[in-house]
Amino acid sequence: MKKITFTLNKEIQHWEVPDGETLLASLRREGYFGVKFGGCEKGECGACTVLLDGKPVNSCSLLTVQVDGRDVQTIEGLGEHPDQGWKKTAGLHPIQKALVESGAIQCGYCTPAFALAAKALLEKNPNPTEDEVREAIAGILCRCTGYLKPVQAILKAAAVLRGEESEQDWVDDGGLPLPIDWPSGAEEQPPLSGDTGSMPTIAATRRKVYMPRMFVTPAVRQKTLSRVGKPELKVDAIKLVQGKPAFAADIEKRGMLIAKVLHSPVAHARIKHIDLSKARALPGVAAVLCYKDIPRVVYSTAGQSDPIPGPLDTFSLDSKVRFVGDRVAFVAAETEEIAEQALKLIEVEYEPLPAILDARDAMKPGAPIIHDEPEYVNFADSDPQKNIAARIHIDIGDVEKGFQEADRIYEAEYVVPKVQQAHIEPHVVVTYWDEDDRLVIRTSTQVPFHVRRILAPVLGLPVKRIRVIKPRIGGGFGGKQEVLIEDVAAHLTIATGRPVMYEYTREEEFIAARSRHPMRIRMKTGVKLDGTITANEMRVLSDTGAYGCHGLTVTGNTGHKSMALYVGDGPYRQSPNIRFYADVVYTNTPPAGAYRGYGVPQGFWPVERHMERISRDLGLDPIEFRLKNAIREGELHPFSTAWSEGREPRPEIIQTVGLEECVRQGKALIGWEQKFGNPDWHRVEGKPYLRRGIGVALVMQGTAIPYLDMGGASIKMNDDGSFNLLVGATDLGTGSDTVLAQMAAEVLGVPVEDIIVYSSDTDFTPFDKGAYASSTTYISGAAVVKAAEDVAEKIKKRAARMISEKFPDIQVTPEEILLEDRKAIAPGGQYVTLAQVALNALHHTDQEQIMGIGSYYSPVSPPPFAAQFAEVTVDIETGQVTVERLVMAVDSGVIVNPVTASGQIEGGMTQALGYAVCEEMVYDQIGQAREKDLVNYHIFRANEMPILETVFVQTYEPSHPFGVKAVAEIPMDGVAPAVGNAVLDACGADVFENPITPERLWRALRATKPVSEN
Amino acid sequence: MIKEYYRPKSVPEAEKLFEMEGKKCVPLGGGSVLSRLKQDDLCVVDLQDLGLNRIEVTGQKVHIGSTVTLQQFIESEFIPEILKEITRKSATLNLRNQATVGGYVVTADGRAPLAIALMALDAQLIWHPGQKIQNIGDWFSLRQALGYWISGIQFNLNVQLDYEQVARTPMDVPILAIGVARWPSGRTRVVLGGYGRAPILALDGPEGSGVLEAVKNALTESGDEWASAEYRQEVGQVLAKRILSTTA
Repeated sequence: MKKITFTLNKEIQHWEVPDGETLLASLRREGYFGVKFGGCEKGECGACTVLLDGKPVNSCSLLTVQVDGRDVQTIEGLGEHPDQGWKKTAGLHPIQKALVESGAIQCGYCTPAFALAAKALLEKNPNPTEDEVREAIAGILCRCTGYLKPVQAILKAAAVLRGEESEQDWVDDGGLPLPIDWPSGAEEQPPLSGDTGSMPTIAATRRKVYMPRMFVTPAVRQKTLSRVGKPELKVDAIKLVQGKPAFAADIEKRGMLIAKVLHSPVAHARIKHIDLSKARALPGVAAVLCYKDIPRVVYSTAGQSDPIPGPLDTFSLDSKVRFVGDRVAFVAAETEEIAEQALKLIEVEYEPLPAILDARDAMKPGAPIIHDEPEYVNFADSDPQKNIAARIHIDIGDVEKGFQEADRIYEAEYVVPKVQQAHIEPHVVVTYWDEDDRLVIRTSTQVPFHVRRILAPVLGLPVKRIRVIKPRIGGGFGGKQEVLIEDVAAHLTIATGRPVMYEYTREEEFIAARSRHPMRIRMKTGVKLDGTITANEMRVLSDTGAYGCHGLTVTGNTGHKSMALYVGDGPYRQSPNIRFYADVVYTNTPPAGAYRGYGVPQGFWPVERHMERISRDLGLDPIEFRLKNAIREGELHPFSTAWSEGREPRPEIIQTVGLEECVRQGKALIGWEQKFGNPDWHRVEGKPYLRRGIGVALVMQGTAIPYLDMGGASIKMNDDGSFNLLVGATDLGTGSDTVLAQMAAEVLGVPVEDIIVYSSDTDFTPFDKGAYASSTTYISGAAVVKAAEDVAEKIKKRAARMISEKFPDIQVTPEEILLEDRKAIAPGGQYVTLAQVALNALHHTDQEQIMGIGSYYSPVSPPPFAAQFAEVTVDIETGQVTVERLVMAVDSGVIVNPVTASGQIEGGMTQALGYAVCEEMVYDQIGQAREKDLVNYHIFRANEMPILETVFVQTYEPSHPFGVKAVAEIPMDGVAPAVGNAVLDACGADVFENPITPERLWRALRATKPVSEN
Repeated sequence: MIKEYYRPKSVPEAEKLFEMEGKKCVPLGGGSVLSRLKQDDLCVVDLQDLGLNRIEVTGQKVHIGSTVTLQQFIESEFIPEILKEITRKSATLNLRNQATVGGYVVTADGRAPLAIALMALDAQLIWHPGQKIQNIGDWFSLRQALGYWISGIQFNLNVQLDYEQVARTPMDVPILAIGVARWPSGRTRVVLGGYGRAPILALDGPEGSGVLEAVKNALTESGDEWASAEYRQEVGQVLAKRILSTTA
């Protein structure tokens, strides 16, 4: 131990710390939870950033003793909440304000790091360029935002700090600017001023924000709304920008143990012998568990509604390991070091078994059987004897006849990789017994209610004795739609009676968490010479890894969405011929699972690459060819009668399709007409080895799962006329809490600040299926609207009575009351305030708690549509691709919050950019992962980003009270194929496998005609 | 992991720590690598108070103190722009503020851009005690310390350095990199990287002939999980040609 003295947030500190302890560990132990753990081993994520002598450094790779005599700043020293009752405070720092106001905060896990890095920059350089800002924050990885809004925020803060733009200017300057560079031909959107007409006292907070471009259809223009459609501040932004202890690991429990897991070093083996005695004997070890110590309960880790649409093939611990990284034993110890030491003392003798590391080998005769356990529970066509986790056979129309009617048949095989969600907050859970001996699971999950239901039998507890708390989530992207590690901590709490924390390292995220299903996809398309598609076939070999979680539904969506877009034209439009066959097989690799897009990005890589190649071969304009065959408004979703992720399929008419307008807007924005087919533009002066290219992909997604997933909400009125909105929906950084609050505020006639959102806790909030399938705004939002309407009805009833009593000459019915500006207003303008209504209800007359509940499930899944464009520069000698610009024009229905929604698009495009050029998970011949950190698994940094641009084409989806469709997943779908098509445009090389790495393209270039001919 | 930490205030004090019996001490620069090691029990000696954080130029030679951080290196007026850009590719600002030049060199592998560049420049490590000089290439080949710690690194400034790399993204770790240093005398050094445990010297000759052959030969065994040798050989020559086409 060493005694050190240093300055922490301007206060002298005297600490005694272990010699080898990192500053991150010391700070968090002392309660500085704004310093985040990203799990990395090489300081690559930057979530733990602090300022050391005013410069940003990673506290995870700095010894605490190194700061002796130096100055350390954490986010806790930066600013504070502006409103603390009678105590006057300086409020947030201008950088924090700018981050909040600019919509730069999504999950908020990396936000404190951005704020500190920005502070260091602006103190040294008050007037930075955008490039300098990007360089200053490049040490901090963000998986949510695409960096655009954080950069805008820092530039804005710089202006404020220079005195060039006062804070007042961008908080209340009289209105939002209209979108700049309005695409020609677009219909102007109504001003988003937030003006509520006669009620100026609560006019929406006006400030300058960077608004995405908007195209508004007449159906949307007719709707006059005060809260929906406005760039309201995120309801959780203030706490996140201060680094408050909002996340699962930001908790102190007396006597809390640290859990670690022994992971399998071999891909497939039986555990012949395991000896835990030495580990158990190590001082400081509280429990060591192997498969012999806990009940053998088969289950699925997929966080889905009951019954889980997949096989039950998983045990908390088993006598067999099925991939490198599979679980062998659990340890709980007083410290992380002791737990790791204990892992080394566990003696395991493995009986190696032949492994399947290539999905193409899984169904071969004589292949080793990965799931030979008798407890295996089949679902649908799963067949463990053949290593088949799921099978799908869908024939729509007469596919063979369609092929016969074609002038040409195009066939090709495409390959998509396994990729990781790479949320910056690792999986983390804390479990403990509460005072009623109920098991509390505080976990970073997208599916708290599924966690409770699925784990109950695994732990031997009834559902009612489990409480799942979901605090803020530091990103999930589907990775946390999995009941992945909660059981580890829970078993150890049951074994020891003590609180247990289990937090994945970044390496564990790569070797033991879930990922996107890799697939081999064979396309066969029949086309007439005029470009009419007569039949379209997709055959998929999907690799689910060692367990079948999400295997069926992810792969089903691969066809259900991507193969639904092109139905054909003429008679084929009325009766499309589509085939989708898929085999989902087990291999001895880490299991795949849910990842944003949920199978659809896998489908659009082959579909959109294929369409591009067909159109070029036929000499057709690639966009016109696509639009000729694309599905249109009023047509039947072709898969709706063939397959459903949830229940039995039912016919579904698509009511809103903004695809043509998306194409028009996107083309205008990227300058398609000036670039496509223009040889001058394709060449780079002075660099004969470089070529420019432009590409497009059209895509569609779904919105929620029809007839299955349900969301609930309850709203309670408080004495002052504010409301508690309780939702089981889980905001994983998407801003869903905010848009749900906006919808409630819209119905109740109050500002968003009067809606206090709480999500989620299985004890207190209504059920919600969780955050997945692009469903929260649509499903949970509709539930919120129903709950708000329930409350509004009660308020109006009471208000009508109060107004009639107050103004005896006035007779008003509840139906005539308008809720607006925190008032219940009669047609003649007489009103009572909501605070008066609340006091009347709670204290004065016929007392009652005004509250309402709502729940909603949908009979339809209205698809959002998008046109995605990419511009690239290709080095035709090395194969290196530089993506210069990404544009997405998207029809997601009505946009509830343009700033949070555009943040979703930018972040999604950035993740998809990785899928296009750099992200993949590769295994060697014995199943060892190549990627175990965020160095080898490269995700884009702020200082290497292309230009990102978004246009919202707002249609009005009639199946939702506010006309919304999904936003979150669709940006994942089209970037990779658009980049692939742009590469083709640049150099004539066809790459069939993503990501387009330099060597892949170099080989494709060698296989194609000389580039000089292009 | 680190079991003992010392921060000497003077060189003699530091020397005594390295001479402690029964203990194997290792020098600590910025700590960005050593602080994370968990395999071995270490005793570390923090060099931060020994005054090794200066950059000095004597004649055509620049001397970089071993505890100069990578960011100090970038901000120095003496450092050529191309080395600054290479350093920027080598580490993000957070790491550059912490990692020292000495620590970077000691822990660098073949994928480290600045290490490739320094080896092309034929930089020399100066070891304490005794001011023993070791060519950086010898360090990468043998990983053999000539003293307790590196007090500095030096290289000539009158050398033209060129650098090219191929990576998946602009700031990614290189799959293939080439550094070419050309002295006024015509001496030419070509160093390759983007794979392996250390940068590889492809050529050190009195003039620049034979570079393409040398690059191709040096990359014969370069295949790994990130790229094939065939690719690296072909593209290595492309990059070399591009560099050679620039005026020396």
